[in-house]
Amino acid sequence: MDPQPEPVSYICGDCGMENTLKQGDVIQCRECGYRILYKKRTRRIVQYEAR
Amino acid sequence: MEGSSYQRFPKVKIRELRDDYAKFELRDTDASMANALRRVMIAEVPTIAIDLVEIEVNSSVLNDEFIAHRLGLIPLTSERAMSMRFSRDCDACDGDGQCEFCSVEFHLRAKCHSDQTLDVTSKDLYSSDHTVVPVDFSDSAAATGEALDTKGIIIVKLRRGQELRLRAIARKGIGKDHAKWSPAATVTFMYEPSIHINEDLMETLTLEEKRTWVESCPTRVFELDPVTHQVMVVEPEAYTYDDEVIKKAEAMGKAGLVDITAREDSFIFTVESTGAIKASQLILNAIDILKQKLDAVRLSDDTVEADDQFGELGAHMRGG
Repeated sequence: MDPQPEPVSYICGDCGMENTLKQGDVIQCRECGYRILYKKRTRRIVQYEAR
Repeated sequence: MEGSSYQRFPKVKIRELRDDYAKFELRDTDASMANALRRVMIAEVPTIAIDLVEIEVNSSVLNDEFIAHRLGLIPLTSERAMSMRFSRDCDACDGDGQCEFCSVEFHLRAKCHSDQTLDVTSKDLYSSDHTVVPVDFSDSAAATGEALDTKGIIIVKLRRGQELRLRAIARKGIGKDHAKWSPAATVTFMYEPSIHINEDLMETLTLEEKRTWVESCPTRVFELDPVTHQVMVVEPEAYTYDDEVIKKAEAMGKAGLVDITAREDSFIFTVESTGAIKASQLILNAIDILKQKLDAVRLSDDTVEADDQFGELGAHMRGG
């Protein structure tokens, strides 16, 4: 659907370095090689029902 | 049935009235009316509460859903609620906060810049409508001797660098939908007890027996006159229908010493409000809504106007 899948940025679980990953990339920090990356919170507004 | 009328004229006597508390007597009606009134006060008197939250930034320790839920539970001043529209009945909009008839918009922006924890409270919510604001408890806090710098209801605490930015939409609703819309903290009624002491039987008791009998009551309903040594009823309403004094009398071999019955046509109501509307207004609104509901019954297609049952019900309500 999207014309171009925009690269998503992740934060390394070890060194805290910001990594940008595209589809098919190896999940690994470019700086330290750590393999646990955390996705960043969306910049979009999120909506919730207050219930 | 023919010719018999059940029409009654209920009476209300107010005993105590404060902004958030009311105590009154309801007389000359029956338990169905008292209970209907109680249930309407809890679940069907409308108020305004936050119903939709759009979170822009949240780097606090609480997750988005948690904060949204907390916002929903904050009581908002709802004097306007009776004349407002439910967003589902609103033709002017789809309840997105753009329409003055059914919704109120709130904004919250908070960021902690210091090393001290920042409390984000209901005072940080900015309303688009000055008549609908978070309930202010500072008056009642001052009256009870609490800290005077009470800053409203805490939503979340932020440490240095954390931020919360959101838009919230408050809508009209009723407690039946979600308890956050209930204007009542507690509504209770009790039957008025009528207590009769069998004086002749009481006089067969020794002073010591009288004293132990009076003390067998867990609440202070009876008292022994220090001069005449007579047992008197001092506070009938303190009686909790616990039957302790009746059991005590039986154990003493004096069954029938006291006769306690619940008056089936007299009720004592206690109403506590959340602060969204005044307790007095809560009662009045409840009566209005009860009337509307009865009108709906009367006017429904399958109800014959002259119908015995509903005709009487209508008369009952008109009398009240």
